[in-house]
Amino acid sequence: MTYLITLLVYAAVDAIACLGLSLQFGVAGVTNFGFIIFQAAGAYIAAILALPPQSANGAFQHYIGGWNLPFPLPWLGAAAAGAILALPFTFLVGRRLRGDFAAVGLLVTAVLLNLLVMNYVPLFNGDAGVAIVPAPLQSQVMTTTTTGYQWGFAIGVVVLLAAVFWLVRRLTESPFGRSLRAMRDNDKIADSLGKNLLQLRTGMLVLGGAIAGLSGGVLVSFISVWSPAAWTYAETIVLFAAVIIGGRGNHVGAVLGAIIVPVGFEESTRLITNANPSLPPNLLPSLQWVAIGLLIALFLWFRPQGVLPERKRVMAVPEPAAGAAADGPLLVRQRTPPSGSPAERDTILQAIDVSRDFGGVRAVSGVSLSVARGTMTGLIGPNGAGKSTLLAVLAGTDRASSGTVRYEGQDVTGLPAYRRARLGLVRTFQLASEFKRLTVMENLLSAAPGNRGDTMRGALAGRRYWRNDEQATVGRAADILHRFGLADLANSYAGDLSGGQRRLVEIMRALMTDPAMLLLDEPMAGVHPELAHRIGEMLTQLSRDGLTVLMVEHELAIMDEFCDPVIVMADGSVLAQGTMAQLRERAEVVEAYLVG
Amino acid sequence: MTIFLASVGFGLLTAAVLAIAAVGFTLQFAVTNVLNLAFAAIMTAGAFTAYGINQLGVSVWVGLPVAMVACAALSVALNLLVYAPFQRRGSAPITIVIVSLGMALIIEFGTQAVVGGISVSYKMSQGHTYKLGGLVLTTVQLAIIAISVVVMVAAYLTLRYTKLGKSMRATSANRQLARNCGIRTGRVITTTWALTGALGGLAGTVYAIDIGSFGPTSTDLFVVLILAAVFLGGPGHAYGAMLGALLIGVATEVSAAYIVPSYKYVIAFVVLLAMLAVRPTGLLGART
Amino acid sequence: MLAEGRAGNSVMTFRRSGRWLAAIGAVALAATLAACGSSSSSGGVPSGQSIVFADVAPFSGPDAALGPTYLVSCDGTTAAINKAGGVLGHKVSCTTADTRGDPADAIPAVGSLLARTHNLELVIGCTSDEAAAVAPVINSHKTVMFCMTGQSEFDHKHFDYFYRLVPPDLAESYAMTVIAQQLGYKKIALAFGNDIGSQTFVQPAESAIAKAGMTVVANETLDLNATTFRTEAEKIVQAHPDAIMTEALGSADATLFSEIKQLNGGQVIPIIGTSAAISPAFFTSAAAAVGASDFANNFHADNLVTATSGPAYQAFTQSLLAVKGKVSGAQTGDFSTYFTAPGAVHLYDGMNLAALSMIAAGSTDVAKWKPFLTSIGDGVPGAVTVNSFAQGVAELKAGKKIRYVGPGGPTSFDSFHDSPGIFQVDTYTAAGAVTVSGNISAAQLRAVSG
Repeated sequence: MTYLITLLVYAAVDAIACLGLSLQFGVAGVTNFGFIIFQAAGAYIAAILALPPQSANGAFQHYIGGWNLPFPLPWLGAAAAGAILALPFTFLVGRRLRGDFAAVGLLVTAVLLNLLVMNYVPLFNGDAGVAIVPAPLQSQVMTTTTTGYQWGFAIGVVVLLAAVFWLVRRLTESPFGRSLRAMRDNDKIADSLGKNLLQLRTGMLVLGGAIAGLSGGVLVSFISVWSPAAWTYAETIVLFAAVIIGGRGNHVGAVLGAIIVPVGFEESTRLITNANPSLPPNLLPSLQWVAIGLLIALFLWFRPQGVLPERKRVMAVPEPAAGAAADGPLLVRQRTPPSGSPAERDTILQAIDVSRDFGGVRAVSGVSLSVARGTMTGLIGPNGAGKSTLLAVLAGTDRASSGTVRYEGQDVTGLPAYRRARLGLVRTFQLASEFKRLTVMENLLSAAPGNRGDTMRGALAGRRYWRNDEQATVGRAADILHRFGLADLANSYAGDLSGGQRRLVEIMRALMTDPAMLLLDEPMAGVHPELAHRIGEMLTQLSRDGLTVLMVEHELAIMDEFCDPVIVMADGSVLAQGTMAQLRERAEVVEAYLVG
Repeated sequence: MTIFLASVGFGLLTAAVLAIAAVGFTLQFAVTNVLNLAFAAIMTAGAFTAYGINQLGVSVWVGLPVAMVACAALSVALNLLVYAPFQRRGSAPITIVIVSLGMALIIEFGTQAVVGGISVSYKMSQGHTYKLGGLVLTTVQLAIIAISVVVMVAAYLTLRYTKLGKSMRATSANRQLARNCGIRTGRVITTTWALTGALGGLAGTVYAIDIGSFGPTSTDLFVVLILAAVFLGGPGHAYGAMLGALLIGVATEVSAAYIVPSYKYVIAFVVLLAMLAVRPTGLLGART
Repeated sequence: MLAEGRAGNSVMTFRRSGRWLAAIGAVALAATLAACGSSSSSGGVPSGQSIVFADVAPFSGPDAALGPTYLVSCDGTTAAINKAGGVLGHKVSCTTADTRGDPADAIPAVGSLLARTHNLELVIGCTSDEAAAVAPVINSHKTVMFCMTGQSEFDHKHFDYFYRLVPPDLAESYAMTVIAQQLGYKKIALAFGNDIGSQTFVQPAESAIAKAGMTVVANETLDLNATTFRTEAEKIVQAHPDAIMTEALGSADATLFSEIKQLNGGQVIPIIGTSAAISPAFFTSAAAAVGASDFANNFHADNLVTATSGPAYQAFTQSLLAVKGKVSGAQTGDFSTYFTAPGAVHLYDGMNLAALSMIAAGSTDVAKWKPFLTSIGDGVPGAVTVNSFAQGVAELKAGKKIRYVGPGGPTSFDSFHDSPGIFQVDTYTAAGAVTVSGNISAAQLRAVSG
């Protein structure tokens, strides 16, 4: 009977931990190789909150704290400890660091903290760890070894698991969850669409840390001891295996993984060892690790989505309302259509002597240009002229080595991409950049700003809080989908579309951000000429309503028809500017194209 | 003062072993873009290969090149069967890191399953102990330092003057461009795995010689030192790895002389985290 | 425009099948296991079935040598018991539970053991790595355990079913200090590992050393995860100690000794170890590190007095030798070292005590035989002294009262079921055989204890 209860409690504790990891890794794409330290922090804090002062019990232990607090304070403290521990490490998950470097940093942290705790005895009693931790309500119940109490504990933990499950699900099935998944699929793009990656990832580290801490607090209350041997960095790998096998991004999968790997695997190894006492005793635990490594590799190759893959979020696409103009305004932001001829309109974007160096190569060299509001400016030039790099610097996805970028009169040279996106300056990318495991509809929705459900607090507040914003956004998205003729692909994964279709998703998504100025990087590449023409016309109309467009393109026919002025770049600098007709007359332009 | 000098001597020894491993690791990363966390496990495999040879009565100095060859083969196989397929598929770098962790588990605990959990030693003599000023080093330890210096010089010469070295540098800078220039990047990559795998085998055996008594899990902590040295110098920069190894090796041992020695690795960790926070490209890496 | 309010609602397919199936599966499996296992012998073992003794100890991880050592003892003891007729017609067998050396893994290991084992009468082992976690569990399962932990928390905590035949770590520190006194050392360096079992020696050692009029000239804590200790070794060498007191298991001590030897100009500094150093694996690695004769000539360790001759010792060695080579994982080094390994000796005594108690009580019901542990162990007036299980059975059959005195010496249980024993001084020969080089009296211990 005790064994059954033990298994149940361990399974529930592991499931809670895996839910936290699934949230971090499966949903938000934050790879936290130090995950186990958050569980350990929770366990230690719960222990020292519940323990009497260290002079008690014969004073054989040394630890800080010891305030003998009653249940449920130790468990709350455990969750808080996990959350607070995350804060110093948020620097690892900012925009600057590659995901794999950050993961390594967290791995190293786990080893470091284990070493510190083991060697600094006054903190948590060093390697011996803390023991005789009181169980919840121990002073009231007196004996915690009765079957009744044990079952009560187990059922309590299962209820707690259900609560964590509900919480995590609420977060994930919301616009906030969608932003997390977008960040996971392609963080650079999410950044360029206005998502604050640092804030999102910090939130996930903290929340995942809290959940892990809670699981630690529960575990220590059950087994009444905790020591460094219980949280070596290898334990994190076990949890990762559980989430990968069970199904990341699927919360039921996380629970399933917890049952299969930490519980099922360990216990079955024990059963096999017991059935075969003649085997060298070290053999099976070693083989168990080999099996875990093998399973990780095999699953990542054959079934990276896990046993229970992430569900597709299918949404109904509303039909365009009867009577709505097929060419009506797509943009919500009210703008006064600019007056006067292009030459008279005010400047919305200005580059002043901008340069960008890579190592020894100068990709962009001393470029100065101005873009007038409501115009469609083209940017052409041979391969390697620096067009995409210039676009990146203007948008903020790349930093200028020197020079200034001004947008709406403001100096934005130091602003990161997501901030410029929120100001209305949005770019698209040359290479495929859709969110692969979001549907087309979700791709569009993820870009829309101002959804109340797009913050952690909003998500936690529940569907009722953000339902209206969501409906409005879905309406806009449906509108755009219909115009671009992709409404029937709304519920397909964006990663499954053809090249040209993915291009369109990009443009549609950019429009969803409600931009004031669009920087398009070869938007028509791979698109059917007829559709390309239609897009050009749509953009023209939008520009008449106030949208400014700067477009890199190779298709000179498009430039001819839609763009005025057109800027020519070669070898990193601006060669000439004017209408296509004018440019064709200039010898140096023709030469650059033939030679460059 | 004597303890300071003695610990500098120990530091040089640690740095020597660390340098071999760090250069191997960082070159692997530079050319193949794989943060191969299984590197330490390969070191272990090398150490135990030499051990197996040693148990047959052969000197460990003969077992050393055997270990190098074995690890070269193991690394090439690892790339061929595991990393390259994942890369071809377009997997994210983080996925490949997780896979490398899985490979580390397989190699390390596979070794433990075969050898058992006990600690073993090579049958060898340490040779005479020399006192040079305040430094105290045995013949074997001096030999290790010498080997390390040879490896560093060889690495420098290869990267600077040979065609292979230049191809490696080109491939690490920009694989696509290198291919367009006619460099057979596939071959360069395989050769890199072989060479850096051999370095891993060398590092593992030399490490085992250094610590005397070792087991299948002895390199677990060492991998953190490798990462610290690599990131201090700049991931992907061979000279950075050498510099990083020197700094980390000496710093940990000297700090042990003045603080409680159990904490000496804390310095390495703190350095690593600080580099990740402030300058992920390392001391010798270019500022992006 | 908007459709019928469904827009924005994702279709929720609650994966009932996945979740509930898995949960039901786990519950079913566990229930089956729970049903299989019985609670400890309340009402006794049905006739015809075997009695089980369980070895609960690390079989993997840094202390992996311990589990197999105890298993050698268990297999040997039970084989001898069965040869002498078993217990009340039941044969006795051994099973194991690998705690992996950490409390979080130990709990399910013990849980699994308790669930799947029919007729579990005794648990042996429970080292410092896991005792604090598992003792309460085994105790509430009403199973008698003989534990090998020296942790001080068991000195004054009452667990009804907990019995201990080894001294608390305090006492070993005092014993080591007496050894240093006897050998005339004045300046002592301490080098203890940072793990649970080893750190508890430091403070008592320091106070005992001070009380004995000696000085601590260096105190290094060895991180068992580290692989070199050169700086610590250098610090020790520069302090010029007369001797080093140490316990640092795994490969740490061996590494330390070789580094000290190197830095000390090729000279080994005399070493005083704890009873944990009396094991084949320890001798093998230390000898490999500094040379067998160098090590043997400079090593002493405290150990509980164990017989090295006489009828108890004969019976004991014969029992173990009968299973030599048959216990997996216990084939390193010189088998005869098991004859003085504390785990082997004292658990042999514990198991014999338990078996004899069952026969004296005429029942395998723990409520009935537990009191006999104390009466047979401590003896009652008029009891005949017996030195082996076979002898004890014979005397009980003849209607006598018995007192069991095994190779571990006479027992004297206090109210917490601790029987500290008396100490001797052990050394190794160059071939790795253990010899007794001296004794430590209770008076000498008292003189240095705090």
